[in-house]
Amino acid sequence: MGGRDATMVLLDENGIRCDGRKVDEPRRIMIKAGGLKNADGSAYIEFGDNKILVGVFGPRDVHPKHMSNTDTGILRVRYHMEPFSVGERKNPAPSRREIEISKVIKEALEPAVMLDKFPRTAVDVFIEVLQADGGTRCAALTAASVALADAGIPMRDMVAAIAAGKVADTVILDVNNEEDQAGQADMPIGYMPNLEKITLLQLDGVLTPDEYKKCVQVGVDGCKIVYDLQKKALQEKYFGDGGD
Amino acid sequence: MDNKRKYVIPGDVVTTGPFRPEQNVILEGNKIISTTIGISEIYDDSVKVIPLTGKYIPKINDLVIGKVISHTSLSWELDINSCYVGFLPAQDVFGRDFSAHADELATKLKSGDLVAARIANFDRTRDPLVTISDRDLGKIDSGDLIKISPSKVPRLIGKRGAMIQMIEMATDAAITIGQNGWVVVSCESPEGLLKAKKAIEMVNEKAHVANLTDQVKEMLESKGES
Amino acid sequence: MTSASVIDELKKSRILELLELGKRVDGRALDEPREISIETNAIPKANGSARVRLGETEVICGVKIQPDRPFPDMGDKGIFICTAELLPLSHPTVETGPPGPDVIELARVVDRGIRESHMIDVSQLVIEQNKSVVGVFADNVVVDYDGNLFDACSYAATAALLSSKSPKWNWIDDAPTLVEGEDMPVPIATIPVSVTMGKIGTHIIVDPNGDEWSSMDARITITTDSDGNICALQKGGSDGFTLEEIDRCGDLSVKVGAKIREKLKEAQKESQ
Repeated sequence: MGGRDATMVLLDENGIRCDGRKVDEPRRIMIKAGGLKNADGSAYIEFGDNKILVGVFGPRDVHPKHMSNTDTGILRVRYHMEPFSVGERKNPAPSRREIEISKVIKEALEPAVMLDKFPRTAVDVFIEVLQADGGTRCAALTAASVALADAGIPMRDMVAAIAAGKVADTVILDVNNEEDQAGQADMPIGYMPNLEKITLLQLDGVLTPDEYKKCVQVGVDGCKIVYDLQKKALQEKYFGDGGD
Repeated sequence: MDNKRKYVIPGDVVTTGPFRPEQNVILEGNKIISTTIGISEIYDDSVKVIPLTGKYIPKINDLVIGKVISHTSLSWELDINSCYVGFLPAQDVFGRDFSAHADELATKLKSGDLVAARIANFDRTRDPLVTISDRDLGKIDSGDLIKISPSKVPRLIGKRGAMIQMIEMATDAAITIGQNGWVVVSCESPEGLLKAKKAIEMVNEKAHVANLTDQVKEMLESKGES
Repeated sequence: MTSASVIDELKKSRILELLELGKRVDGRALDEPREISIETNAIPKANGSARVRLGETEVICGVKIQPDRPFPDMGDKGIFICTAELLPLSHPTVETGPPGPDVIELARVVDRGIRESHMIDVSQLVIEQNKSVVGVFADNVVVDYDGNLFDACSYAATAALLSSKSPKWNWIDDAPTLVEGEDMPVPIATIPVSVTMGKIGTHIIVDPNGDEWSSMDARITITTDSDGNICALQKGGSDGFTLEEIDRCGDLSVKVGAKIREKLKEAQKESQ
């Protein structure tokens, strides 16, 4: 590890960022649909150095029973980090941060999933962060959406996610760990690309009203890139040999 | 492939215009949007998507294969590979004069037993009620259970049973297909059993492929290796 | 956990039928473990890691190495801790929340096998006697379940430790201070290998898969070290073993363990 250089250049005179990317360029993203044997649906994502695995079960019986709803199925999400996923070993007990992220991801997926046909059931989404590198919630939400589709949970749309942000007074796409630590703002965005609706939005940092609008636009454009990769992952699994 | 059919994922616009949305599509404005991974089909006035994944949703009169997971003194609970647990009341097996004191449920069916059952009743408010008191229903005493995606069952059956008959004829296996994606195969010869299982797994993996029947036929006719 | 999943009776009787003929459902010999694949450095940001597949059971182990305070009266020894957790995505019956007795037993048996073999020479993990030592944490997470988690976790932890690079700390100004660029392997004294055997009727089978695991009457996990000595044991399940069976299991654990140890060594070489 070792301390980061405090004078690290976040954006050089040619508009190149600390990891060599352009301002509107996401990190390397790899998505795989399926892969787990016992889950009803699953997905694996590598997003920069993030490595995240998602498994979905359901719709299925709700335990404990009192959580069930006689009018609709319910969505439950658990975002969880492995002890070895971060710099210093993480205590295995759920942190307040993990509980909050579980909630925002659940609420980002709820506008997409349609569970009214499954009263008294639950759909469980289990997110496991194997390696974290800034932007885990966006990567997790992206993978969760693929895993839900893989499980055959009815959905109005996919949800794609990526963060926009600000470093060196410039709006950028896909904030990495260094930029998150040393930058000026981080805005994770989750977006339904066909219904054109934002379902996750948070902000850490200060933006002018103009920058705020630009950040949202850059983020939404980024979500469309992520969405294409979600599509590709599902097509590879389901239509792989394309009707040969 | 018919040019009206296409591969879709959730959110994909299947078509626009005055169509009636049927299975696995919704209407948003004038767009018809798929809600699942599958193959879309556009008819004269309606649109639907044939799913390639998803859990079994019980339908009255469906034949299903169930596994007994537990029982109380009045009923059994069956895993029917669905969003809901199947409910089999003791009267269905012991008859009208069932007595909770005299009749012990475990003597008839115990945890782990497989049954061929029919969905007798099901609606939004209750778990599916199943029956095993009919010809061809009841406890299954032999064979191997194979699990496929419930969405692939129509493909395994084929047009008027063409696919399943082809597999049965080629292997001498007896195959019971539950609408819930659970399939029991029994066969005298181990080779036939292996081949029948392989054919079923092929359908499960390649249900979207256009010339699937030919591919399965070719495998069934191949000699030796399995 | 997984004992709650009911195996179907037809499969259970098929398993028994085949065992009477000396065969297994997946075609293996009775003393044959499943295919083992070991991918080291699966989590590059950890100090060491491995993703192990034992048949369709899959486990990821990540090793974290960091300065820690020594245990009381153990000021001349570093710390080694190995854990195991079943992720809820590994099987529909796994619940979130505090681990149940099965999972606690799993974690303790895996830890014991490695600890009692003295694989890690903890006497070399001291930064400043009685004040600061190196802690080595090997955390296993089960990603997919198909029986025999004991061995899958044990191989994952062992492979992760064998591939680990430990940073170096010096004691400066009353605090452990990282010395850049002096990473070195963790001090390894031996390579422990656990072999779990199931008993079904009177038959002993090595590395039971998920269906066999649900049909078992009893099990035994035996860990051996590089010298072929037995260093840890755990009997489980609701039947007993005859003395003759115990002898046979001991022999099997040495024989099968030796082959698996070679695979672990290979994985270690590839990770360098």
